[in-house]
Amino acid sequence: MSHSVDIFLAVLPALFSGFIETLKLALAGIVWGSVLGVGLGTLRGQYVRIATPIIGGYLHILRGTPFLVQLYIIYFVLPNTGWPLLQFDSWTAATIGLGIYTSSYVTEIVSGAIRAIPRGQWEAAFALGFTRLKTLRLIILPQSIGLMLPSLGGVYVTLIKATSIVSVVGIAELMRQAEIQIVRFPGDILFIYAIAGALYFVFCFPVLILVGKLEKRATRGLQVRV
Amino acid sequence: MLQARKAGSQATTVSIEIQNVEKRYPATGNGPGTHALRNVSLSVSKGEVVVIIGPSGSGKSTLLRTINALETVDGGSIMVDGVSVTDKATNLPAFRTRVGMVFQHFNLFLHMTAFRNVVLPPIAVKGVSKADAEAAANKYLARVGMLDRAHAYPAQLSGGQQQRIAIARALAMEPQVMLFDEATSALDPEAVGGVLDLMRELAGEGMTMVVVTHEMSFAREVADRVVFMDAGAIVETSTPEEIFQNAKSERTQKFLSLVGSA
Repeated sequence: MSHSVDIFLAVLPALFSGFIETLKLALAGIVWGSVLGVGLGTLRGQYVRIATPIIGGYLHILRGTPFLVQLYIIYFVLPNTGWPLLQFDSWTAATIGLGIYTSSYVTEIVSGAIRAIPRGQWEAAFALGFTRLKTLRLIILPQSIGLMLPSLGGVYVTLIKATSIVSVVGIAELMRQAEIQIVRFPGDILFIYAIAGALYFVFCFPVLILVGKLEKRATRGLQVRV
Repeated sequence: MLQARKAGSQATTVSIEIQNVEKRYPATGNGPGTHALRNVSLSVSKGEVVVIIGPSGSGKSTLLRTINALETVDGGSIMVDGVSVTDKATNLPAFRTRVGMVFQHFNLFLHMTAFRNVVLPPIAVKGVSKADAEAAANKYLARVGMLDRAHAYPAQLSGGQQQRIAIARALAMEPQVMLFDEATSALDPEAVGGVLDLMRELAGEGMTMVVVTHEMSFAREVADRVVFMDAGAIVETSTPEEIFQNAKSERTQKFLSLVGSA
């Protein structure tokens, strides 16, 4: 028992710094992915003539390829083009990768939620003199959010776990730190992975709870007892 | 009261002028295209109540929806109070504040209480102050008899209650014209009467109204003029007395005998 406590105390500082790094990566991914995804999804949800097929192509490419491949391309291949704009350090590459990967899922969730709002809501707003933008902001999006949140929670949690992949471009996030500690204490491999897993859970669980709470708030008045 | 209105509606000022409107829906993978409106012309005076009747698919709703440009037209022109609806340069959102519309399925904003449904549009669209909008909402909700249900969400209200609130919402914008698109078709028989009474009162107050309905008794009692449409064209336009007792067209007679009001 005291051995476990010793190991725990010995690895904790490193794992905690990895945890913070994971937290920052995940937040960056969530923010960029959501901003990009909500923008693209809002366009796609309304069948804008030129935008819809282009966004469709973007989604197919991103979702049809593994995240690891996308990350390698951003970090190893794009800099080879020699363009100064495409020279990324590992943090930037990881953030861009996570952001666009997340955006592909967020886009589909947002556009689906917008399309799920009955046409009559648009028509009523238009008939009252709302512009398209006001209709989106005041009528459509507030109703869509309740539909988006459960799926968004799933995507965000997937993203948090996917941050473990960016260790391949040299970021010392939680998983990378765990591996380093395993080299230090090869006899306690299960224990160290268990701590890492617990830390991921500590991050993911509140996200799911929070999303659940927000969903309840967003669907106030919309819940119909069946 | 009815008599007074009929006398008042003799005013010649034109409110809605529909000229030679054409509308086609293109063929899709699911079926052939339709010629939804064929050379339709209709003019509605200020304070007049025009009721459009006709079989399903005859273009009644399509015609009504072209008046506030929820449907575009392929030909012809529509003017409402001197504003061209069919002109691409027209600022449609600004124009639509002057035309109220009531839908078959109410289309209340589902994420807001009844009160908020009535308060928000004047604030968001016309820039009315919150206090004024709330005062107006109270007035119009009282007017439709829904003040006691003002803080319920649409999902908690019956169809008839929702439709009354939808009417209050449209009135709160203080429109010049009201369009009713089968406003009672989705209601149970008990609620129909109440909503029709409300529309009757509005008509009595001199509101310009275009009403698409299957309620023949309403057409007969309230309309200044009845328009019978079939297959995208206006077949006959006349006073209710003429249409219901003395229809010229055989098609009109047949329709009225089928709906049991001839």
